[in-house]
Amino acid sequence: MRNTGTLALNVVKDTARRKLFYVVFLFGLAVMALSTLLPTFELGMRSQFLKDISLSLTSLFGVVLAVVLSVNQVPGEIESRTIYNILSKPVSRSQYLLGKYLGVLADLAIILLIMGLEILVLVAARAHTASPVIFQGVFTIFLECAIIAAFCLFLSTFATAPVNVFATILFYLLCHVKTDFLHRTLVEGTNGFTKVLAWPAYYLLPNLENYNISQQVGYSKGVSAGYLLRVSGYAILFVVLFLFLGYLVFRRKDI
Amino acid sequence: MTGSAVKLEDIKKSYRSGFSRERKAAVEGLSLEVRSGEIFGLLGPNGAGKTTTLKILLGIIFPDDGQGTVLGRPLGDRTSYSRLGFLPEQPYFYGFLTAENGLDLYGKFFGLNKDERASRSARLLDMVGLRRGSHLTLDKYSKGMLQRFGIAQALINDPELVIMDEPSSGLDPVGQKEIRDILVRLKEDGKTIFLSSHQLSEVENVCDSVSIVNRGKSVRNGNLSDLLAVEGMTRVVLRGALAAKDSLSSLVRKIEESDGATVLEVNSSDVYRVLDVARELELELVSIEPSRRTLEDLFMEAIKEQGN
Repeated sequence: MRNTGTLALNVVKDTARRKLFYVVFLFGLAVMALSTLLPTFELGMRSQFLKDISLSLTSLFGVVLAVVLSVNQVPGEIESRTIYNILSKPVSRSQYLLGKYLGVLADLAIILLIMGLEILVLVAARAHTASPVIFQGVFTIFLECAIIAAFCLFLSTFATAPVNVFATILFYLLCHVKTDFLHRTLVEGTNGFTKVLAWPAYYLLPNLENYNISQQVGYSKGVSAGYLLRVSGYAILFVVLFLFLGYLVFRRKDI
Repeated sequence: MTGSAVKLEDIKKSYRSGFSRERKAAVEGLSLEVRSGEIFGLLGPNGAGKTTTLKILLGIIFPDDGQGTVLGRPLGDRTSYSRLGFLPEQPYFYGFLTAENGLDLYGKFFGLNKDERASRSARLLDMVGLRRGSHLTLDKYSKGMLQRFGIAQALINDPELVIMDEPSSGLDPVGQKEIRDILVRLKEDGKTIFLSSHQLSEVENVCDSVSIVNRGKSVRNGNLSDLLAVEGMTRVVLRGALAAKDSLSSLVRKIEESDGATVLEVNSSDVYRVLDVARELELELVSIEPSRRTLEDLFMEAIKEQGN
């Protein structure tokens, strides 16, 4: 665990060096700009709308960051050969992969937390209301990003960066349409071939719509603790699965 | 110490080239042994399989066939890694770290506590002459400074076995001499050193044994003195023997001047006859030793034999 923590901390330091944390300022500006474009609602409506749209933007930023942060963790170190000096130390490949993942997760947690605080301050300033329920939405976005990052890291053990980005975007889209489009294809579809294709996508991919609670956060009191617990467990399941698959590829990979 | 620090037996490794299904052999049945406490040199032309061999030793790549041990543990067994240090060729490190931070990071992987990491870092930075530049980030370092840092990080865990890929690469003559001194000092401290190098003079000066590899195979292997010795020949060094060249010509295979003395290469069976002539002519005897060729001669001979 010591090695994993050391590697994770190193990922955070590298992110800081690459100034990726500055993205929170960009996010703050984007949210502020959006809030000024909103039509003039009454205060309650404004608060709801602001929360909804800010969380959607947070989700977009989060997913893009999850991909940007994960896609080059392993291939980048192989290309720059810094990996030789790590794997020639008493660091196992599973520790290496897990350390990289936890580092990405820490980056996402820091960035999303600051984004959540920015939304909180903005809603308080524009709609004169405190909305800590925002953090429910930020938390589920974090869980969604955790799944995306694990998938991207798994692909990065064998795929090139462009292929990885393309496949992760496809994965993200499929995981969002699975409840609706894939379900309809599977249940109502008549074409056997598309059903064969839809089956694994429907049953094996995570349902990322579970993590889209911007409506509940924006327009009601959020979701229950039980719901958060269930989607956390669901996310952990897929994260473990993708990291395990990544490990299976990486453990005997010639570098 | 007489045990094996490294032992490889019939190691094979091939790679796929591009989209072709054909595999290109990088190492073909390589065997070698490095005894504990010695400095071992792995030599060979570019593409001979040296770096592949080092990567196999370090578990960075996996052999297709063959077996071996590193510090008594099977290849790829990470329990031996806490007792070895590695200096990669053209070392690449995290550029955003300072030398101190870098050593601290690598020290953590060996479970060293904070005080140990700090004291070892200070000592090693002194040893490699980087104390003054220790606050700079590594991306500001010259190639030579990076090489020195690489040596420091390879020693952070006080390893029993140090594996070095081209340790003098990028260093000026003074730096190269310092590296040689460090290698000798490490040997005196009882460490085993496995180095891959193109610098034949460096290898000849410091190594106890060598393996010359070409096209993935070992073509010469063994104790360096034995390999350099010319069988059946003795080198007799006399002062002023050039004037007596005619008297000695029938007994001598080769005669040349070196540093004011005359070096005679003679058949070992003729040594006493040469000494009789030298006594008669009252020539000063400087030394008698087995004839040696240079490592460069041995290297070229070994490579040519394979038809390179």
